[in-house]
Amino acid sequence: MTPHPIIRFSNATFSYKGHTALEGVTLDVHEGEFVGVIGPNGSGKTTLLKGLLGLIYPSAGSLQIFDCACEALRCEHRARIGYLPQKERTDPNYPITIWEVAMMGRYGAIGLLKRPKRQDREIVLESLEAVGMVSLKDHPFGQLSGGQQQRVLIARALSQRPDILLLDEPTTGIDATTQKRLSDLICRLHQQYKLTIVFVTHDINMISPIAETLIVLNNRLHAKGRPSEILTKEILSPVYGEEVIVAKRDQKPYIIVHDTHDHA
Amino acid sequence: MLELLSYGFIQRALLASLLIGLVCAVIGVFAVLRGMTFIGAGTAHSAFAGVTFAFWIGFPPFLMALVFGLSTVWITSYVQEKGKMKPDVPIGVFYTFTMALAIFFIGLMKTSRPEVFGYLFGSILSVTQSELIVIFALSVVILFIVGLFFKEFHFISFDQDMAEASGIPAKKLSFLLLNLISLAVVIALKSVGAMLVFALLVIPAAAAQQWATNMRSMMITSAIIGVASSWMGVLLSYWFDVPSGATIVMFSAGVFLFSVLFSGRQRMGQTS
Repeated sequence: MTPHPIIRFSNATFSYKGHTALEGVTLDVHEGEFVGVIGPNGSGKTTLLKGLLGLIYPSAGSLQIFDCACEALRCEHRARIGYLPQKERTDPNYPITIWEVAMMGRYGAIGLLKRPKRQDREIVLESLEAVGMVSLKDHPFGQLSGGQQQRVLIARALSQRPDILLLDEPTTGIDATTQKRLSDLICRLHQQYKLTIVFVTHDINMISPIAETLIVLNNRLHAKGRPSEILTKEILSPVYGEEVIVAKRDQKPYIIVHDTHDHA
Repeated sequence: MLELLSYGFIQRALLASLLIGLVCAVIGVFAVLRGMTFIGAGTAHSAFAGVTFAFWIGFPPFLMALVFGLSTVWITSYVQEKGKMKPDVPIGVFYTFTMALAIFFIGLMKTSRPEVFGYLFGSILSVTQSELIVIFALSVVILFIVGLFFKEFHFISFDQDMAEASGIPAKKLSFLLLNLISLAVVIALKSVGAMLVFALLVIPAAAAQQWATNMRSMMITSAIIGVASSWMGVLLSYWFDVPSGATIVMFSAGVFLFSVLFSGRQRMGQTS
């Protein structure tokens, strides 16, 4: 039986100030699926995430999440969507502990005017344990390294007890070893919590071994399929240009594209 | 000292400064962390324009200060949203426009009203019983709302987009917070003066940030610095016959400088 689509874009178009960032996207993401989203600068990757987060609505077509039109998503729906933003390093002097950051993940579920209960504290503790940060829970967040901050932000997303986890370039700006640890952690959490993951990245070689499905954006949905089907010169060249190189490294496809990363 | 406390005007000044110091310091924490402090300066000048308007047409100055102060938040928020601009632009425009309005209204007054300038430079020793009641009531309202939405204000100060995405009505709460900042400025206007009230909002919180490692400790430290500065301002103002608003600000600025130099924050390293 095919799993139920948890996210459904139907010919959805997203625009800012009359400029179309993403046009006519039709796409289903199923429960428990791990989707990698790739594309060059300005191809609409972050727009896709903003749509999923309910920060922008389609100007044409529709987007349904949990069988609910995104415009009608209520707080309790949003609380089921965990999000790891593309984030600059936090001000080192910002007075917040790791525990406080992770607890923020519960605020949507706790609701206005209510305080965290024992159950919330247990969930936060479990989330921090899952990312290996529980021993530093009282440490100031701003004093952590970039990789550690990302782990805590993953714990915050997990504290929401999400069904969907959205990741926006979480491995940008951190060293290769930490990148590998983070992508391993995300894979483990995907399996452990049966999370539906939408992972936006410019790093094709990092995402292709871990995602089950890759989608390629170029202001529209250019391609969707298993990484082995997508990582071909025929599919990537129209998006990344003729200079894209599809090579093999350790028997796996290795892609070299001319692309500089930005926040589009 | 005990004799001093027997004077009614000193009792009122100490109570008013306790409330104002506390409220501005607490609200100031969110204003500083959110980078919203400029709205405090904008509101102060707008509220002063309200005071001059009230003196011109014979209305209660506090009421007009409140109307003008809150209008600043509503109008600048609307203009910011409509014109898709950074908040400091409409606030900057409003700041100067309302100061021009204040000068305009002073010019329209038939007779000289020196008490207007009390609102510009502050005079905490002249707080009346009825003003104290209003300050008390509004302080309770502000602190109560902060208590109700503390965790949400904390979240939107740290990461507004994330708070919005988590299902928290971040935009509405951000607007509420702006209104509370504006309200705090208005209740402090007569005591500290439009020129200096901005300092009461910023300095205690900024000094506290030098010492704090979490939100709770920043809030408590900011409140202690705010109240201590206000009380020192009242006492020094009485003992040495110097302007109260300026004394409060100079004392808190001294605490800020001490915090920057001796908190040890600059020596803190990064966890690897």
